[in-house]
Amino acid sequence: MIGHLTALLKREIWEHRSIYVTPVAIASIVTLGTLAALMFAGGFAKELDLAIFGATNLAGDAERKVVLTGFFIGTSWLFLFAAGVLTIFYTLDSLYAERKDKSILFWRSLPITDAEAVLAKLATALLVIPLATIVAVIATHIVNLIVTSLWVSAKGGDAGLLIWGSVPLLDNWLAGLIVMLATALWMSPFVGWFLFVSAYTKRSPLLMAFMPLVLIPLVEVIFLRSSMFAEAVFGRGGVIPLFRGMDLESFFDEDKLRVNEEFVSLLAQLDVMKFLTSVSLWTGVIVCGIFVTAAIYVRRYRDES
Amino acid sequence: MTSLVNARGVSKHFGAVRAVDNVSFEIEEGRILGLIGPNGAGKTTLLKAVLGLTDCDGDLSVLGLDPFRQRKELMRNICFIADVAVLPRWIRVTQLLDFVEAIHPNFSRKRAEVFLQQTSVRSDAKVRELSKGMVTQLHLSIIMAIDAKLLVLDEPTLGLDILFRKEFYSNLLNDYFDEQRTILITTHQVEEIENLLTDIMFINDGKILLDATMDALADQYVEVMSSGEAATKARGLGPIAENEMFGKSVFIFEGVSRENLSGLGELRTPSVADLFVAKVKGARK
Repeated sequence: MIGHLTALLKREIWEHRSIYVTPVAIASIVTLGTLAALMFAGGFAKELDLAIFGATNLAGDAERKVVLTGFFIGTSWLFLFAAGVLTIFYTLDSLYAERKDKSILFWRSLPITDAEAVLAKLATALLVIPLATIVAVIATHIVNLIVTSLWVSAKGGDAGLLIWGSVPLLDNWLAGLIVMLATALWMSPFVGWFLFVSAYTKRSPLLMAFMPLVLIPLVEVIFLRSSMFAEAVFGRGGVIPLFRGMDLESFFDEDKLRVNEEFVSLLAQLDVMKFLTSVSLWTGVIVCGIFVTAAIYVRRYRDES
Repeated sequence: MTSLVNARGVSKHFGAVRAVDNVSFEIEEGRILGLIGPNGAGKTTLLKAVLGLTDCDGDLSVLGLDPFRQRKELMRNICFIADVAVLPRWIRVTQLLDFVEAIHPNFSRKRAEVFLQQTSVRSDAKVRELSKGMVTQLHLSIIMAIDAKLLVLDEPTLGLDILFRKEFYSNLLNDYFDEQRTILITTHQVEEIENLLTDIMFINDGKILLDATMDALADQYVEVMSSGEAATKARGLGPIAENEMFGKSVFIFEGVSRENLSGLGELRTPSVADLFVAKVKGARK
């Protein structure tokens, strides 16, 4: 059973190489960006010496942590966004392409149930893509910290103190992992919907997936003068009930920093219990389950000839 | 003899159209059955029902299983190649072998690799880089490396040139088939397979017109080529078909003994193709 699942997941990665190409591409962009910034900064020798001196002698531990954690958050959003776009295209293609090229007849000639096939695609969207993304985030983080510490050392700074001693590595990475997985789970009703459209539609899955998301709110506003659908659907793109009312302003607020050390911990900003007990989360998971069941049903019962 | 496939009153409707109409038959172990029928006769629908790809009415059991409800179990012991080579175009040959090896309990990678070595399919190639003939060779190499009880081939050689077609069937017979294996084939190119079949079944408009062993076929059907008075006599014996060829009349008789026909002309066993045409035309009358 585990061997089956691994083979099915591997298969998804073979077919959709963008699952690893996308994070690698973003990682390269971020690293190139860092290199460019360091080269650009090389022109301001005096200011740099001052900054390094200031960071070493004047700034507190918390301040240093905030700056590097800020960098981590900034680049991680880029990865998260890319993973979102990737997931949309992956899920819409996953059950559509096999019907288009008729390879579904080959897959169905093997001892795999339709449920296993569809669930492997769901697992790819909800687990493999977030995990591939966080691995890329961590790798980027390490590479960038090495590059930066080499650069700081070359400028005569103490990289051990300024860089490695100032990054709450495990804290950042664990928080990153939780955010990636939680976001995937939070967005699972969309994943389920896309899988269903991918299994069902005879043409242009992208259009078929997004048309109802535009038309239904429009019809609701015109005929019912309400916007319940839009709020339920697009409201999900707003705030995930995972963060402890964090506002970025206070995150970077110097006064609070000195008072409150824990502000530099990203993990401390996350409330996993609140997330896991959120009614909204589980409603979404149920909606996802309904769409996925429908996708399995369609794959099983529709005659493809 | 154990029967692998047992169909009793199997039907499949698409709206008002009866693609398969109350069909009953059995396929026994160790046979090679050709399922012959014109386009739209219900062949593919019937195969799909046997393979558990589509639901149907009536009693259908394959290897003692309900194909639609127990497809996964069934696929451990059944292999099939559908009418078009359907291997995914993006996959590499090695990936394909890896995947089937992980998924299929009865697959022998070694055997597949031995078969592949006899072809010009490179193991690092992607399916999209292979010719249609090579894709079929690849597919067949995988199928033959699976220790299955029943092999279903739906127009397996469609679109292939004559060399590939001949090779396909010779591989199938020499390297694959034995008493424990059973093969079910549909094809338009009847002439190519009639020598390898042990059993034959004609289907038209969703109904079975003929279900016989090839041996019985020779006993039951006789073709007579005659002219003049002999032809008139032959016509009087109620042939199921009559054609003109080289100025002579060619009759096909069903259930008329060879003794009764001797002296009317040259006696032969009709070809499957001619018999098929006779049966289908007869059914339309």
